[in-house]
Amino acid sequence: MSGSDGGVYVESTIIMTTVRAVAPFVFTFGLFVMFHGAESAGGGFQGGALVAAAVLLLAFAFGIESTRAWLASALVRTAIAGGGAAFAIIGLATVALDGAFLEYVAYGYGSTGTKYGIELVELGIGAVVSGVLVGLFFSLAGGDFELAPGGDTDAETGGEEP
Amino acid sequence: MTTEGLVLAVVLTFGAAGSLAAILLRDVLNAIVAFAAFSFGIAAAWVLLAAPDVALTEAAVGAGITTVFFLVTIAKTVRPGGDRLLERIEWRSVAVVAILVGALLSTVGSLPAVGAADSAVATSPVTEYYLGNAYTETGVENAVTAVLAAYRGFDTFGEATVVISAGVAVLLVLRQEAYV
Repeated sequence: MSGSDGGVYVESTIIMTTVRAVAPFVFTFGLFVMFHGAESAGGGFQGGALVAAAVLLLAFAFGIESTRAWLASALVRTAIAGGGAAFAIIGLATVALDGAFLEYVAYGYGSTGTKYGIELVELGIGAVVSGVLVGLFFSLAGGDFELAPGGDTDAETGGEEP
Repeated sequence: MTTEGLVLAVVLTFGAAGSLAAILLRDVLNAIVAFAAFSFGIAAAWVLLAAPDVALTEAAVGAGITTVFFLVTIAKTVRPGGDRLLERIEWRSVAVVAILVGALLSTVGSLPAVGAADSAVATSPVTEYYLGNAYTETGVENAVTAVLAAYRGFDTFGEATVVISAGVAVLLVLRQEAYV
């Protein structure tokens, strides 16, 4: 409600400690939801969103600019492109093996092959979703931090943003 | 009313109250928090309606990431001043919304009851086929995933393409803005 510190990073011990404890679990849960989408609720879209949420948590606790610096933007771009490419390759390889698009049986491992094919597709979707969400977040947040050089230094708390 | 129905009613009331608060609160930050509460209520409702896949998405995207995106966005805008807590109500807008809601509510009566055995979804041969054959054909225990990634895999591929193209487009536009 204070409204005076909108957009600039303020170091908070409580938030940093909480996030340090919680973020690994959120990240692991995201991966679990992605991997385990075949046996329980979840899948690539949900898991990707959770993985992105873990990164957003880190950014909120430790400063968006330093998180962006830590997480190379090439990694985000690779996740988006690689995830989509993995899905396409898995789908098209079955066509090359005389099957229909995504006809996993064409790999010749029966329903086991189908299961692992589905898991790989889910991973690809997860990479795309988490990459897009993280990239969007950094792009949206990017503008604020050009005003406050250093990003994670304690910015002055006076005055509303113009 | 069964206990389940009662819990669902409480959760939906919480969600409706959250959405109403999001509309009425004047401060954008308050509205965003109320909107997150609304999403949380709806996610809980999905769990109660036995749709955990949708609930996970609603909780992670609706209550979590959308809220953060909104917060990051309002950090760059000016919040309206003044001490009023609630927005002034525009009665003409209320009338339009009431007409729309009335039109939608008039269709509710023709929906089958939740979990009804004779609803179109439960009796459809497609449903029977998926539930009967999903495990033997795909080796996957979650029939939703089997439909998403195997039977309707091409649709999901289209969905992933939409996410990629939308993401790339927005990223390009936002980056462009930074260089102006």
